[in-house]
Amino acid sequence: MQRPFTLYLAALVAVGGVVWATTTFLPVLGLASAALLFLLPVLFAAARGGLGPGLFAALASAAAYNFFLLPPRYTFRIHAPENLVSVIVLVAVALVTSRLATRLKAREIEALDRARLSAELAELSAALAGNPAASAFDRGVALVAERYGQMQVLADPSQIRPSVLLSSLDQAAAAWAQHNGDVTGHGTEVMPAADWTFLPLAPRNRRDRAVAAIAQRPDGTTRSRQEIDHLAQLALLLGQCRDRDALEAERRERELLAESNRLRQTLLAALSHDLRTPMTVLVGRLELLARDHPSAAEAMAAAVHLQHSLSDLLEAARIEDGALQPALESIDPVDAVTEALGRLALRPGVALQRDIRADLPFVRADAVLLDHILANLFDNAQRHARALIRVEGRAIADAVLLSIVDDGPGVPEAERDRIFERFARAEGSDRTSGSGLGLAIVKGLSDAMGMTVSVDQAPGGGARFTLAMPLAKAPSA
Amino acid sequence: MSRILCVDDEPAILRLLTVVLAVDGHEVSHAHNARDAIVLLERGGIDAVLLDLGLPDRDGLELLGAIRSIAPLPIVVVSARNDVREKVTALDLGATDYVTKPFDGDELRARLRAALRNREVAPVADVVEFGPVRLEIDHHRALVHDQPVTLTPKEFALLRALTEGRGRVLTHAALLEQVWGKAHRDDVEYLRVAVRALRLKVESDPSQPMLIRNEPGIGYRLGGGAT
Repeated sequence: MQRPFTLYLAALVAVGGVVWATTTFLPVLGLASAALLFLLPVLFAAARGGLGPGLFAALASAAAYNFFLLPPRYTFRIHAPENLVSVIVLVAVALVTSRLATRLKAREIEALDRARLSAELAELSAALAGNPAASAFDRGVALVAERYGQMQVLADPSQIRPSVLLSSLDQAAAAWAQHNGDVTGHGTEVMPAADWTFLPLAPRNRRDRAVAAIAQRPDGTTRSRQEIDHLAQLALLLGQCRDRDALEAERRERELLAESNRLRQTLLAALSHDLRTPMTVLVGRLELLARDHPSAAEAMAAAVHLQHSLSDLLEAARIEDGALQPALESIDPVDAVTEALGRLALRPGVALQRDIRADLPFVRADAVLLDHILANLFDNAQRHARALIRVEGRAIADAVLLSIVDDGPGVPEAERDRIFERFARAEGSDRTSGSGLGLAIVKGLSDAMGMTVSVDQAPGGGARFTLAMPLAKAPSA
Repeated sequence: MSRILCVDDEPAILRLLTVVLAVDGHEVSHAHNARDAIVLLERGGIDAVLLDLGLPDRDGLELLGAIRSIAPLPIVVVSARNDVREKVTALDLGATDYVTKPFDGDELRARLRAALRNREVAPVADVVEFGPVRLEIDHHRALVHDQPVTLTPKEFALLRALTEGRGRVLTHAALLEQVWGKAHRDDVEYLRVAVRALRLKVESDPSQPMLIRNEPGIGYRLGGGAT
């Protein structure tokens, strides 16, 4: 761009040239043609320098035309009204031409800028897509920094305040950009006194937004508005890369987790399978031995206990691993209770009382897991009952409530939540029976099936465990 | 006093089974793999098979199918695989019963006894009987504990399927297919509703069903025969 002073001087020189030409050749040209010639410096100045020099050339031309050519010559007075028209025309031409020229120039700059931006975006995209192994974002930042100067990415507020890199004004500008999604700092309208320019990496509608800080130009000049806009667009593209990187990292992490889960599950399954054979031989042999040798009965009881503890441990590990995939179906609660009670080995002296209607609505459960829950709850009850276990079922609006009530010591209020944790046992309870995992398994399995289990005090003083089983949807058949 | 073929790759389990079954006077043949099992079966004289599913040379489920094709013997699967789907597959492939390791010796013997007792497949006849149930097919008449019961056609078909199962566990899919047709193999809801309706008519206490017994996640069987 030429300096304005030169443009005005050039306009003056051009007018001077026309004055010389017209005064010299006036007899040949005539006044009208001479006036036309004065349009030339106006067009020239307006096209080159825009409105200022154009208008200057127009006024200078009008004045020179009036002074040197219009009779009375060498005065600024104007006799004929049509001569005034020539002056007005000269000014009007200057105005229109300069406007057109300015607009044209602006378009040209815009087009060039757009071409440069799209070329850069294309280049950046190509570079980012090139190598999926490395971080696309890091490469993008390097590319932009190489072209525009030092660049820092501030991922979150903690990287803005406090900062050794940024002055307090810069910190404020960065925080603004982060919070509002505006371009701020040097070269912008928001806190232009800052040293850095801050470019949001995500559009306004996003909440968590990282910000790129770009240093001033090395020569200290201010970036143009166009360049800032351009950088803002590059920053948004970088932001997309960053999002993509984050997604990719998340996916890899998930894969890794899934893989380690698979390994653990395989291990658990193998362990549980491999333990079954020796346990079968151990328990089976001791069982036979105990028939003839009463002294072996104790060993057999211990082996059976070990077997139950092992299977509880494996089951608890399976629950903790999230390896359970309940196959939910519609289940008749009467079936579930009947089968689980059918296998219960009641202690001598303990009676069982059932209060379950045959028309309880069906519930939504995994049959095997529900069976396991009930077996554990019944077993728990028969270990703590003195003389009676009561099993009650009733339907409420959206569930079937199954209560297992014993007449044992009950669970103190303070321990009611803790009792479903692993290895929790009520105070003073028999420490040799059970693995300490039974109720934790009950809790884990019910959670997995969307059931709730709770304990409170039965009217007679014992414990009352209540399992809330969600209803299956009304059968259509 | 039967001859039982035990198929298991663990010698310790085979020796244990020999001792456990000897209590009932059974004679035991051993096979450590599927090939030996087939050789022994083809030789004949076997009354029932106890089959482990984890064999070195062939999957136990495959062998199950092979045994079925050699002789209509009761097969009790004795497996460390404690998975419902595995059990359902084994039963659908023709296993009579399924026992999970570690097993209780008494329970195993009881199940084997039941399998042996019920092996005589009733010839297709007008009358199907098992335990307290007697069905006269041609007259569409059902008697439970000698009391006539009025059943809908579906209930009758269901009770007939269970009765013909002779105490065997019939999987949900098998029952659904037999009573409602192949298209309804997965509609367990139908079965639950029908079983409940049937129980109200045939059980002495429907809130404590003893005749139509449920195997959680697997299917139903007719109880009431001595086990």
